[in-house]
Amino acid sequence: MKKRLITLVALALFGAAFAATPKDTYVYLQSAVIDSLDPVQAYDGASIGILENVYETLYSFKKDSLGEYEPTLATSYEVSADGMTYTFHLRKGVKFHSGNPMTCKDVKYSMQRNLVTMPGDSGAWIFGSVLTGYGDDAMTEAKRALGDNASQADIDKFLDEYWKKIEAAVTCDDMYTVSFHLAKPDVAFFARLLFTGGAVVDSKWAIEHGEWSGTEKDWKDWIGVDLRTGYLHNHASGTGPYKLVKWDGNNVVAEAFDGYWGGEPAIKKVLVQSVEEESTRLEALARGDADRIDVNDWATVNAKVKQMSGVKVWSDPSWSPAAAHVVFFNFNVEGENNPYIGSGKLDGNGIPRDFFSDINVRKAFAYCLDQDAIYNDLFEGHGSWYTMALPPTWPGYDPTIPIRKLDLDKAEEYFKKAWGGQVWEKGFKLTITYNAGNTERQTVAEMIKANVESLNPKFKIDVVPLQWSDYLKAARAKSLPIWPLGWGADYADSDNFIHPFYHSRGSLAKRQNFKDPEIDKLIDYARTLVKPEQQAERYEIYKKIGRMAYDELPNIPYPLQSPFIVTRDNVQGVYYNSMISRDFYWKDISKK
Amino acid sequence: MLNYIIRRVLQIPLVLFVLSLIIVGLMQLLSPQQRAAAFVTSDKQIEHLDQIIEKYHLDEGFLVQYGMWAREVLKGNLGFSRISKEPVTTTIRKRFPASVELALAAFVPIVLVGVFLGTIAAVNRDKLIDQVLRVVAIIGWSLPTFVMAIWLVAWVYGGLGWFGIGRLPNEMLIDLATSNFHQYTGMYTIDGILNGRLDVTWQALIRLVLPATALVIVVSAGIMRVMRSSMLDELGKDYVRTARAKGLTENRVIYKHAWRNALIPVITMAGPMLGRMIGGIVVIELIFNFPGLGEWAAKAATQLDMTTLLAFVMLIGLIMATVNLLVDIAYVIVDPRIRYE
Repeated sequence: MKKRLITLVALALFGAAFAATPKDTYVYLQSAVIDSLDPVQAYDGASIGILENVYETLYSFKKDSLGEYEPTLATSYEVSADGMTYTFHLRKGVKFHSGNPMTCKDVKYSMQRNLVTMPGDSGAWIFGSVLTGYGDDAMTEAKRALGDNASQADIDKFLDEYWKKIEAAVTCDDMYTVSFHLAKPDVAFFARLLFTGGAVVDSKWAIEHGEWSGTEKDWKDWIGVDLRTGYLHNHASGTGPYKLVKWDGNNVVAEAFDGYWGGEPAIKKVLVQSVEEESTRLEALARGDADRIDVNDWATVNAKVKQMSGVKVWSDPSWSPAAAHVVFFNFNVEGENNPYIGSGKLDGNGIPRDFFSDINVRKAFAYCLDQDAIYNDLFEGHGSWYTMALPPTWPGYDPTIPIRKLDLDKAEEYFKKAWGGQVWEKGFKLTITYNAGNTERQTVAEMIKANVESLNPKFKIDVVPLQWSDYLKAARAKSLPIWPLGWGADYADSDNFIHPFYHSRGSLAKRQNFKDPEIDKLIDYARTLVKPEQQAERYEIYKKIGRMAYDELPNIPYPLQSPFIVTRDNVQGVYYNSMISRDFYWKDISKK
Repeated sequence: MLNYIIRRVLQIPLVLFVLSLIIVGLMQLLSPQQRAAAFVTSDKQIEHLDQIIEKYHLDEGFLVQYGMWAREVLKGNLGFSRISKEPVTTTIRKRFPASVELALAAFVPIVLVGVFLGTIAAVNRDKLIDQVLRVVAIIGWSLPTFVMAIWLVAWVYGGLGWFGIGRLPNEMLIDLATSNFHQYTGMYTIDGILNGRLDVTWQALIRLVLPATALVIVVSAGIMRVMRSSMLDELGKDYVRTARAKGLTENRVIYKHAWRNALIPVITMAGPMLGRMIGGIVVIELIFNFPGLGEWAAKAATQLDMTTLLAFVMLIGLIMATVNLLVDIAYVIVDPRIRYE
């Protein structure tokens, strides 16, 4: 009796031994910290993970599908014959959280807010580069075009032109019809509109709270500003199923919006908390204080999460992240006194600048990368294989292309063929760099070093970590001979991988001085296939490029950790969409 | 005494000025590129390093940078914190109360436990209890705080389900955000009472138990050791022998005479300790999910957020100066022989 009393008192004092969150409440503990809740400024997963539930874009992803879209704030759209104009018919009767009705005015304001502000550290370039033709804010572009010593009159003239382009980019045909006018045809424009920067904000409410007026009058005050100091940074009035109640830096509290056009979601209250310490997140999940948590890697999932009761790990071999990681080869290394190529000659103490232009060298290196070890050791057998630099779930990916795995005999064979046998005879010395702190890239670099050096005592490779900014700067200066790097998608179109990785003007391929005129031609042609009915053809072209890239080997794609989601086992309706920042929309889940 | 206090108060701005010079100076040792890279959160933004350097004037010299900051501070604007994504003053308003709440919750028991155990050990010198306490003190003193913290989270919270982590239960956070709970002080223990929400006060108190316990176990060992040796010191002095010779009871000798004098080194140690604890116990804040000043400042240091660091160092400088002044005043109260002219 006495014992029971003590237990009861203890329970009353310290709380129940197990406390699940209520059925209509979703508590998510994430590792990252939110940067900004302004849809134009937000460019990181944690921020977008909130915004995609509070705001809406014209179309959105249909659950886990990357190829099918759900009409959201628009109900239908058409593309002009020249591919330069996209016209959307807006949904009627949609209300913002403030109660204001959503019309074309809001769509126009929201898009132009991107084009006016264009903060350098945001994703606004995704729209600017196709709607006005400018990837940077007006002042930066003016300086670039006119030089530092331009007169004020010239700058004003440039700014006027810029503004005219912003004005022309979006037009309202009537209250519920909006047209986007492109500066150049763009096959990915529809996909770009699904990026949260394309979310529709409540213009009347925003202007009332001191944001840009939506007119030419004050647009110059908003060029390139840091939107984190503005009202929309921590306040929101969107049309989404959830309205933002509070963001205090650590916690986001949201509740279901009772005026939502799409019906009531099962989850009514949401708390998203930044908890950086993983062990703390794990205990909270085990105790039932959290419905979902971020877990860093499969090793922790296997060692800790799988031992917990009442917890579910969602994963599927078919899932892959919206990213590709590869080892790049430089076909013609640049830079005076380049420290990464030794003597700069094929004399055993360096490499010539065009060392990797010989396909035999590239193949030999590829056969020295132990992809199975990456898959099994680094990711504990939970990886996604990549046959080309495009995520396997994306349209245009060809799973039938072979993967070059560790094969030291073949590596030796190609090294002996390389440079007419001189490579094998004289040996070489080069440096592989990676960004300090990135263990995956460090492992890849050291693996290549160990395997290449094991073939011939005259082969010498240094592995050198660089500070991140130095690393990317060196890559941009085309001074690195061989380096591992990753790329994450900005918007859900395969062109966002194919062009940067394989086109000679692509942001990544140009750093390796790689050019294949035939591939360039194919990519350029694919970019003209803008009509929905032309997409099948476009994706066939990407597969063909994948096969050509296998033969030509401008880079070595290697496996990535396959995604997983950790929740309590009473959470239902979870799915994985690599382009939804936090994998699924809150409105689609429920709890048993 | 009053003169002394005034003089000490006037020194504070000078201390803060020198501190700010040091921080800005240290920052200048890094290249503008390195400092700009710390602004960047995603691979893609690295393309905009030059714009960032220009925007935040990172390539300007020491005097220009210091001048820009000082001008704003004199206008009352401490700047925008890149770490917390809001004005520095807003963050301090949120996090300072959390730090004070946690520091006080731990400080009072730390001093009580340390002084109590130290006294017992000294009075029972070389007896079994003294030996045991000394071993316990060494263990406590050498235990890394994070080991203690992780163990408490895993065993007491994770295993037994007691107490909880974070400042409040998650449902209560949602509830407070959606109701009209007013944050008068930012300390939930006090705001709960002011709002007539005793359940909030209670939950806030419950959640202070684990982090405070971790600190008590680790930190009071230091106080105990100081108290023990200082007590032994006093017990060996002439006035104690005289008091005993006069036939005073042992309790009176110890607690009326020796004890008060033995407290002086403890006060010397405890004052700055409180200041440092308010400044943040980064590990405790991280593991118990208790966002205070320490975590914020630690992140600012790794991401080279000069504005945040300057504000933090100013605040801590102010706290430490104040605490030191209070310690000096406390000496007078404890030991009437001490006088400040």
